[in-house]
Amino acid sequence: MSSSQSPRPDGKLEMARARAGLYGLMSRVFSGKPTAALVKGMKETGMRESLASFEVPFDEEFLAGDDAEQAEELAIEYARLFLATGSHIAPYESVFVRGWAEDKPQLWGEATVEVTKFYQEAGLDLREGQIPDHLGIELEAMATMAECEAARRESGDKAGAAKLEELQRRFCEEHLMLWVPEFCEEVQLRAESGFYRSMAVLTASLVRLHCGEDSIID
Amino acid sequence: MQNITRRDFLKVGAASTAVLAIECQFGPIASAAERFIEGGRSVNRTSGLPRSFLPSTCMQCPAGCGNISYIEESRVVKIGGNPTHLSNQGSLCARGQAGINALYDPDRLLKPMKRAKGIRGNNDWIEISWEEAYDEIAKTMAAARSNPRDFVFLTDDLAQDDLGRRFTYAFGSPNAIGSTGVYDANKLVGTQLTWGKAGDMPDLAHSKYILVFGANPLESNPQFVGLARRFIDGIQKNQAKVVAFDIRLTNTSTRANETHYVNPGTYALLALSMANVIMQEGLYDAAFIEQWTNVSAAQLAQHLAQYTPERAEAETGVTALVIRRIATEFAATKPGTTISDAMLSNYANGVQNERAVMLLNIITGNIDTRGGLCMPVQYDLAEPSPAPPAPAPSLLSNPPELPFAFQQSVETTMQMIKDRKHSVNVLMTHGVNPVYSNPDMGLTEDVLMDQTLIPYHIAVTPYMNETAALADIILPETTFLEDWDIEVRPSPELVPYVSLKQSVVPAMESARSFFEITTQLAGMIMGGMEQYFAYKSVQGYLKARISDISGLNQAGGLDYLMQHGVWYDPKTRPNYGSFTAGGFATPSGKLEVYSQPLADRNFSALPTYEPIASFRELGNNEMVLSIFDTAIQTDAKTGNCMWLNEIQHDNPVWINPATAARLGIKDGDIVKLTRSHKSGEAKERSITSTAYLTEGIHEEVVAMANGNGRAESGSVAEGEPLTADEITEIEPRALQDPNMKLIWWKEKGTGIGINAKQIVPVSPDPIGGGQAWGDVVVTVAKA
Repeated sequence: MSSSQSPRPDGKLEMARARAGLYGLMSRVFSGKPTAALVKGMKETGMRESLASFEVPFDEEFLAGDDAEQAEELAIEYARLFLATGSHIAPYESVFVRGWAEDKPQLWGEATVEVTKFYQEAGLDLREGQIPDHLGIELEAMATMAECEAARRESGDKAGAAKLEELQRRFCEEHLMLWVPEFCEEVQLRAESGFYRSMAVLTASLVRLHCGEDSIID
Repeated sequence: MQNITRRDFLKVGAASTAVLAIECQFGPIASAAERFIEGGRSVNRTSGLPRSFLPSTCMQCPAGCGNISYIEESRVVKIGGNPTHLSNQGSLCARGQAGINALYDPDRLLKPMKRAKGIRGNNDWIEISWEEAYDEIAKTMAAARSNPRDFVFLTDDLAQDDLGRRFTYAFGSPNAIGSTGVYDANKLVGTQLTWGKAGDMPDLAHSKYILVFGANPLESNPQFVGLARRFIDGIQKNQAKVVAFDIRLTNTSTRANETHYVNPGTYALLALSMANVIMQEGLYDAAFIEQWTNVSAAQLAQHLAQYTPERAEAETGVTALVIRRIATEFAATKPGTTISDAMLSNYANGVQNERAVMLLNIITGNIDTRGGLCMPVQYDLAEPSPAPPAPAPSLLSNPPELPFAFQQSVETTMQMIKDRKHSVNVLMTHGVNPVYSNPDMGLTEDVLMDQTLIPYHIAVTPYMNETAALADIILPETTFLEDWDIEVRPSPELVPYVSLKQSVVPAMESARSFFEITTQLAGMIMGGMEQYFAYKSVQGYLKARISDISGLNQAGGLDYLMQHGVWYDPKTRPNYGSFTAGGFATPSGKLEVYSQPLADRNFSALPTYEPIASFRELGNNEMVLSIFDTAIQTDAKTGNCMWLNEIQHDNPVWINPATAARLGIKDGDIVKLTRSHKSGEAKERSITSTAYLTEGIHEEVVAMANGNGRAESGSVAEGEPLTADEITEIEPRALQDPNMKLIWWKEKGTGIGINAKQIVPVSPDPIGGGQAWGDVVVTVAKA
């Protein structure tokens, strides 16, 4: 669609783009250690102001620090929080959500299979070697679907876009909502840096908003 | 909960896109489209896995049983035994079934990590890419190549780690060091000296009389399930009589026809007194002794005369009447065999114990016969060419004070490094956890902490553990369910077989196999090393390993193994009495009851009882500490398996009620075990645990299971903190971690138990080099 055809755009294109950006960035944050470029980007004016609206402002100390040094500090924290160094939180859906036959948290559980099936249904082809229900991958799946939705909207494929919108809503409800808020609470409890606490709050808010637990008001 | 305006949402979305764009330009991240492609056909996790089940080999303990992984939707949902496997014949123990826990352990290491800063062990890690990891290691090792002999490689079983040995030799170092020294080195040396082959294989299924000397095949044995099945066959199908001698009531001794407690450290005296009875009563196999040993019956009888049943009664606690009766029965009931394992030989007199017990089989002609004590049978694998030559031995690889320790002893290695008798530039640990499994773990820890002793430590492991925690760089290795290898073991069926370990699911995330790691590193270190790692694929390397086994290659080689998991020649039968064609592989071609190599080194050349002095003068509250293996836990592999921790999560101290009454100890009391002081020793070594009162333990012995009390092996293994400090530190995690919520034993008993090996001093048998785990005297008191 284009704005010339409709004097009052329904705003869905913009929303899809916003979701693609947010899910994409959160995916990046939880997929691996940060780089200096990422830290620098996080401090840019637009990002800083936006985060304030989610009530997760960065403190002054963070904003004033050296990007490269902070990236290194955060990389150590990333390893401690998520990379099996003894006191980490394994960022996988199947560790938090367990199927009918599973009473123990494990990698590649029944939840992982459900996620895999969802990707198949959505036409998302995951590269070999990735664990499908890693938080970073699930968020990236959302970003990809949102990106594709935006592309369909731009090309005027309303039906295709609606299908992708529905897929995002379902994935959020059937998967993200089941564990991401709980996971993010864990991160808030254990993170030493404001950065990961803020990112956890932001991610949980994003998922709640998307599932309609919180609202976006006009 | 919060609400947010549409305008703000769009704004943060736009800002995120901007940051992501910046990051994409500079950072290494993949853009979304790289990982997800819209319109792709399916998630293809199962390529190359056309079946819903795959046979392989279990690596949860040394036995190497045949297993089958059942795979649904590309995940392993159950692991069972392979019914066609010659060793375990379809049975698989708890450890094997808990392989699922090992594969899908939420605590698995999945990214290479580098120590960020500060001292070793402070747990500050930073994720790096494989390329960065290889680059750093290759540079460090290339620089260290000017002193190649200072490279040290530590592994679990050197005989099974052909790639590690190859890598070490190709680098130019002789220091590929296995852990046999803390397992069964004394048994291997004792058998090697006697019949020219390391190890044995009692033919339990066909025996009529089985004498058990401290062995426990139903719970713990290098051939575990395979031998347990033959033991059951022997007593059920063959109606064998079983007589067990032990210091503890075990799963095996409780299934014996009769069980006798024997005083700790006196097994050799017991066996030699029985041999004496057999000689004195003329019940020996004169022709066999004459033809196949290097002593005469008269010589032997004369040597054994000192070991009278009466003397044995006084020292072993087994009555002369019983000794005479059982010796007579054993000699009269053919075929018969003894069974022994590391629990017989893990003393300072371990090699002598093993040789004394072997002697019972020798004088009764029960050697390499159906139902007797047989020589181990297994295929030799080819060394793919070109093979790197073995560099000249070093102090570490062949300690001169332990001339017979043909498999290096990891426990003495640490002392030598500490004493700066041998310098180290790079240490690589692979699938081994010496900080946990060595005696005196403080020593190993001190050495690994000291950067002047170990400038660079590479740990290759699927899991964090006490040793990897002290590394500079960690490479996440695949688990056995994602890896390939050819596995051969001594066959309990006495028919050799070849077993395949194959990847049943693709390697998870960025875990890599040791084949990939060594090949990549050798290719980057160069300097001639690369020629030994020129195989393009692990399958190519494995085909070379089995190239000498013609029957297997006729059957289809690796393809056959991939389909069946195991191969053996169906026409082959046990080759009993193989020595009759060509003799034994000893210098004399005979059974060396008299060992000239021992005589040359001023050790007793004939099987001899050498009392352990400290056992003879035990004080009122002094006891002998026995650390026993169970069917559940192992040193390096099973620590964090949830199902196994549910079965064995702690290790209380077994104390006989009579002893406990004397010491005022009640069941469930906290007791303190303090290692009795040797002269000049500064530090007191003690541990505390809970008392478990049971008649199933000798009155002079306290026993604890091995495998508990881990500090750095994952959240399940560390289920219960040990000290008050740790409790405050760990408690929030205990409440939040989904794993921890399931550790129901946390509030009860001894929690995760304690590693008793930490109070055991480094003390190898001077002949075999195997650690004398059983020699420790402790003071026992209520804490």
